[in-house]
Amino acid sequence: MSSTEEFGHALESRLHLLGLDRAEFADLVGVTQAAVSSWTGGRVKPRPETMRRIEEVLNRHEENTRDTAPRVDTDRDALTWYHRPAHRDGGRELGNAAAFAFDTDLAVLAREATQNSLDERFDESAPVRIRYTLHEITGTRLQEFLETLRWEEIEPHVESAAAPSNKVGRILQRGLADLRDGGRLLLLRIDDHNASGLTGPDYDDGRFSAVIRRQLDSRKASASAGGSYGLGKAVLWATSRLGLVLVNSELSEPHEGHRHNRMIGRLELPWRRTADGEWAGPAWFGEPDAERGGATRSWWADSDTARRLHLEREEGSPGTSFLIVGAHDPSGEAETLEEMHEALVTALATNFWASMVTETGGVPMLEASVTAVRDGEVLIEDQRVDPELAEPEMTRALRAYLDRRTTEDLTAKHDVAQVKVPLSVPPRKGEAGGSVPVHEAVLLVTPAEDGSAAPNRLVGMRANRMVVVDQKIPEMPLGAPPVQAVLLAGRAAGDPGADAAESFLRAAEPPEHNTWKRTDDLTSTYARGAASRINEFRRAWKEAVHRLIRQPESGEGDVPPALAGLLDLDPPPARRSPGYPHVKHVNGDVREDGSWRIQVDVQLPQRDDPWVVEPILRFATRSGPKPVVAWALEPVTNCDLSARGALIFEKGARRAVFVGTSDPSTHPVTANMAVVEVELRRVSEVAR
Amino acid sequence: MNNRLFPYPTLVGRSDLEIHEVRLDGMPLRRALISPGARVIALDRADRPDWEEVEVDLRLHTPTELRAGTWQEIRCYSSLFEGRTNSRSITQLGRASDDVWSGTVRAHHDDHHRRIELDALITATIQDEPGRIIGRATEAWTIDLEARTPARRNTVQTIRADFAAPDRPFLNPYREDPWMIEASGEEPVLYINTGFEGLDRLLRSNDRTTRDMVGAQISSDVWVALFNAAAAAVETDVDDQPIWPGGWRSSVLQRLLPDLFPEHSLDDALIEIHARREQGEGADLQARLLHAAGRQARLPKRLDVHIRNLAKKENS
Repeated sequence: MSSTEEFGHALESRLHLLGLDRAEFADLVGVTQAAVSSWTGGRVKPRPETMRRIEEVLNRHEENTRDTAPRVDTDRDALTWYHRPAHRDGGRELGNAAAFAFDTDLAVLAREATQNSLDERFDESAPVRIRYTLHEITGTRLQEFLETLRWEEIEPHVESAAAPSNKVGRILQRGLADLRDGGRLLLLRIDDHNASGLTGPDYDDGRFSAVIRRQLDSRKASASAGGSYGLGKAVLWATSRLGLVLVNSELSEPHEGHRHNRMIGRLELPWRRTADGEWAGPAWFGEPDAERGGATRSWWADSDTARRLHLEREEGSPGTSFLIVGAHDPSGEAETLEEMHEALVTALATNFWASMVTETGGVPMLEASVTAVRDGEVLIEDQRVDPELAEPEMTRALRAYLDRRTTEDLTAKHDVAQVKVPLSVPPRKGEAGGSVPVHEAVLLVTPAEDGSAAPNRLVGMRANRMVVVDQKIPEMPLGAPPVQAVLLAGRAAGDPGADAAESFLRAAEPPEHNTWKRTDDLTSTYARGAASRINEFRRAWKEAVHRLIRQPESGEGDVPPALAGLLDLDPPPARRSPGYPHVKHVNGDVREDGSWRIQVDVQLPQRDDPWVVEPILRFATRSGPKPVVAWALEPVTNCDLSARGALIFEKGARRAVFVGTSDPSTHPVTANMAVVEVELRRVSEVAR
Repeated sequence: MNNRLFPYPTLVGRSDLEIHEVRLDGMPLRRALISPGARVIALDRADRPDWEEVEVDLRLHTPTELRAGTWQEIRCYSSLFEGRTNSRSITQLGRASDDVWSGTVRAHHDDHHRRIELDALITATIQDEPGRIIGRATEAWTIDLEARTPARRNTVQTIRADFAAPDRPFLNPYREDPWMIEASGEEPVLYINTGFEGLDRLLRSNDRTTRDMVGAQISSDVWVALFNAAAAAVETDVDDQPIWPGGWRSSVLQRLLPDLFPEHSLDDALIEIHARREQGEGADLQARLLHAAGRQARLPKRLDVHIRNLAKKENS
């Protein structure tokens, strides 16, 4: 079928679906009915500008149809919890294995959740916007929240599972104590906008079921997805002290004809026994599904219910909001609201700065912000994460690359050098070898600022530009100028071999997605030697950095190691407390009569004999001998004048003060025109 | 320096001098040859030995107090200075933003010899007197015409040579010696005799204790020889006061005098050695010198390590 015919068929079926007749459609587009017939008949394809007009008309009509479709929001009173009954074989799961697959903290949460959102980016011409909101609620706000949530239905379950004998039980205990004794609850809400939302049916394959119903199901729409283990979502539940997460999603594609406020809650508990029976693990909050024996399914929420559950979403901006109920930092490091806010900002900045960088004037992949609220009062204003603040040098490097302003070598201070780093992707097992082109990763190197906190780092990333590798550049030559390096691989670098490299490197990432190394996935998917390819890649980027900063070979005249540091001619650093009397401080000004009047503070080392010195005043010059001028001395503290005009400092004194007044008739130039220096000269022991 | 007084207010905060780009005859210099840490630009380019002009794009970051103060007609300049040729040049910087001044300084190869000091000055009009210095770069840079790596490299030159080679007749009389120190010229040189079997290898070997022991011995010899040469070069002014000899000789004296006369300031110590030499009290001076040279060479520490190592070997 030609593309003209294909377009004709597609248009025909869309008109049919929308219930639009040809005459009406022709009118809306502003063409004749005959023209429409020539398109649907597959004879003519419209010109591009007409095509855009057609798209507009269809989209608008689609929206109108949707809005007029009858929607009945679920009655709040119908909502309930469904607990999965215990296994008949008596098996008990005492925790969610996925949540234990890696050590988790707020940084891991930010990484996993943000990565998932990036993977679900909906409109590729706009950024995914992510917002983290920490909200601590108490009093009536808390009461209203718990009532709407039907806390009384799950409280006995949480209580029963909160056994001190295992890790999950102890966390639940603390969560309950916080709620009952502290009378407060911390909610961490994670919103994304311009993302797909949890589309698809309640139980069958789709985004909704992958996140809400299943464990270890990574259902990612594209090959460039960041995640691949389906573990990310488990971190959401691991961050809740009550194992409880509520969800509201605005769908990019309608489900049952609707998009707005699709909600569900999921409770993740270990096996437990209550008065009503024994229960396996998870429970879901929603509308009872008669066809599934009382299991609950997602419901279409009215805006008041969404508000009571702290999950209200604006209509028309697809994406998902997760509400982690009883949020905490699983590592225990961040405790206060402020600390948790800080931890999230830092995690977003260090892991996703590159996703927020764009070419000058361009649209980034990601915008992220974090805010903290206490009982409705904003505690920390919505703080937009700024890549420049987190990684100024690397941001500069990436922006130069996107703007095509890179150079081959490093010369100017803000230069960004770009070199290729080869990665040969091995064939997959069972595939014929040799057809995959060698991928060329892009390495960017730029000088680090003086005083950069952590220079000589290399960070590596794939398509979504989340930081995967972050390490010290190995074996930096001694004395080499400090640099920072960014490695773009796979789709972040582009062809040749971008897709193959993207999949290969993803297979080389452990569940934490924090390095490229030999993994089980790598060795089971790729032909022999896959792990060596990774090692070669690591060696290639190290050598590429070294080549850029290489320093000339050493030659004949070098200091042998045995003498290193022993023949330096630089003056040694001044001693803090020298072994002789010295000027600590001078203070003074030029008086009306043109003389300098100067107070001199002297510091004296401990000595049994009194120190005798002759203070000298000089007019400083740029070079050559500095002229000495005559001055009259007045002892002030701990000193006395000798018969010959020298100063005798008191025995044992550590500090002394005297004042001197210069004789203007001995000045080589007027006092206002010169800088003066005070010197203390020992009265020579030999000459004395 | 806290023993100085200006007859007008001066800047207190830091003024940082930053190098943006260096060009040799218009060709940019590789960044690896510019070290912000050591503040050195290394210009000895084997691939471009006949360069004529070096251009340095720089920026001076001045403290905000410069704007807040009452100074009038503020100007910033960068200065190039080389002590050896006593050449100086000044380039005015333009104001790039509130606290940043920028400009390009140029130096001709012919005007310079070895190390150029690159500094910056901030001036203002004080009491109708224009161009008074109110501040300087907190840390100056060095443009090193002979360095191949950008490191602070103010050290005694070491040359490995065969003392028996006919192209170095001045070394031939010392062909049996392991090393020789030349302290009479413009630049002191330590010659290591490659004709002395095994010495060069020993100085680079991985047996650190023996290697460092010999290194300390050589270094101690160097300091004694250099000190004597430097002290002999001290002259007096019209008032019969000793003057610093300048160049490497001053450097040598400044490094050693604090250990020779710990209770004297540098100036006093210079007077002291001069007086003792004049009055023929050299013996005490030599004893103090051996002490100071040994400290420079870290001789006591290295000998201690060496002895402990020998003891360990004997006991095992």
